[in-house]
Amino acid sequence: MVSRVWSLMRFLIKGSVAGGAVYLVYDQELLGPSDKSEAALRKAEEVLPPAVYQFSQYVSQQTGLQIPQLPAPPKINFPIRESWNSGIIKVMSALSAAPSKAREYSREGWEYLKERTK
Amino acid sequence: MSESDLGRKWDRCMADAVVKIGTGLGLGIVFSLTFFKRKMWPLAFGSGMGLGMAYSNCQHDFQAPYLLHGKYVKEQEQ
Repeated sequence: MVSRVWSLMRFLIKGSVAGGAVYLVYDQELLGPSDKSEAALRKAEEVLPPAVYQFSQYVSQQTGLQIPQLPAPPKINFPIRESWNSGIIKVMSALSAAPSKAREYSREGWEYLKERTK
Repeated sequence: MSESDLGRKWDRCMADAVVKIGTGLGLGIVFSLTFFKRKMWPLAFGSGMGLGMAYSNCQHDFQAPYLLHGKYVKEQEQ
């Protein structure tokens, strides 16, 4: 009797946890159109660092440990997009110029050999 | 589509893919822990569903300016 009640309770708890997760996803429209999920991502990006900071403060208060202050991550101003784009352009222009350049170099090499063997 | 429009669409696609795959993975973890005895397949299923949804959204986003919308017009018998 008790075990049946306990298994029913367990099932209800699991069901409510799973149902709550599904409802959260539905409410925040995480699986909807792309602009809604993009907005949710922006919101999460804004909310996350203060929440992590507050949680670390709370943990250090409760346990008395002092969490060492991590140094701020370096701001990398490396423009990946520009360097990738310029890399692609350079590779493609080199490929398109390759046959004519190869012809020119082979012609020069042939001339050089002719000069040497004269 | 201009270059900046294209860039914005790609950004939206990537953000959407991250959110959807993460959501699918999260739901898969929840269901795996609650109902499916900590097996691995709900995670794979959920993240696969998220990836598929994100791909479909992206595809629609990119094809949207070029889609033709028509409707059937019944022939009027005179």
